Amino acid sequence: MNGRPTPDDRLSAYLDGELDAAERDAVDGYLATSPDWRTEHDEIAYARHALRALPTHEAPQGFWEGVLSPELTRARARRRSRLPRVAAAMSGVAVAAVVIASLVMPSSDRVTPRVPALSDSHAVRTSVSDEPVSRLATLSMVTPFRR
Amino acid sequence: MAGGVPTWEEVAREHGRFLYNVAYRLAGNDSDAQDLVQEALLRVRKGLERYQPGSLEGWLARIVTNVFLDEVRRRKRRPADAFPEDPDWVLPPAPAADEVSTGFSDEVQAALASLPDEFRAAVVLCDVADLPYEEIAQSLGVPVGTVRSRIHRGRRLLRDALVAPGETA
Repeated sequence: MNGRPTPDDRLSAYLDGELDAAERDAVDGYLATSPDWRTEHDEIAYARHALRALPTHEAPQGFWEGVLSPELTRARARRRSRLPRVAAAMSGVAVAAVVIASLVMPSSDRVTPRVPALSDSHAVRTSVSDEPVSRLATLSMVTPFRR
Repeated sequence: MAGGVPTWEEVAREHGRFLYNVAYRLAGNDSDAQDLVQEALLRVRKGLERYQPGSLEGWLARIVTNVFLDEVRRRKRRPADAFPEDPDWVLPPAPAADEVSTGFSDEVQAALASLPDEFRAAVVLCDVADLPYEEIAQSLGVPVGTVRSRIHRGRRLLRDALVAPGETA
């Protein structure tokens, strides 16, 4: 027994720069004097290097389009679903405007002919000319009409 | 990117390659890696409001590793769903350290996939995601000393797996 510990996990931490100064000095000492520590160091360094040298593994073609497209589809669907709601709201506003307008201005487009005066003056004229057709024409003026 | 916090789509577009690579090294195959990435992105989406600007890739690596370990635990409760192991995999000859190349990567990946899940998670977070031990400890919910032990034992097992029977390093 030479007093040195068997190689341990300090070697990985040593390679990763995760040891404090005292531990690093201790490992340096073991590596300088122990073939076991040097062998273990080289093997762990080999595994570490093999892992870090692995190339970036790429996703299969089309994967990212598939991951992202549902999101885009949902966004499109949200935009689409907003359109009918906007159209319905605008239609409602238009209908309400018409109803309100018809209530607020109920007689704005109504023509009220002065039926009694017209009838009287026409009756006077027909009585003077004694024309039968014009006599009958006075009857059609009794009911009001819309323009 | 508004106010330093990225949108979900920006994370997927700008860091998806990193995220997928970590997921693949953890899962060992594309099918499971795709599931891990999609679940991780759901968690990213939910957690973006709480994200503190910093190491985004470290945050992503922690999320996908937690998704992986959650899935490992779920599959252990249902063994029929266990992550597949490749029964045809054979130990390759051990190349010199400077011969590690993309041609060797399949063997390294197979050796990585053979590690116990907890060791693999620690090794991937360290050597693939390049996180410091403190962040790995937080990710895995274990002390830093445990992380150091898992990384070392994981590398030791991986080195042994890469040496064919009868060969020496």
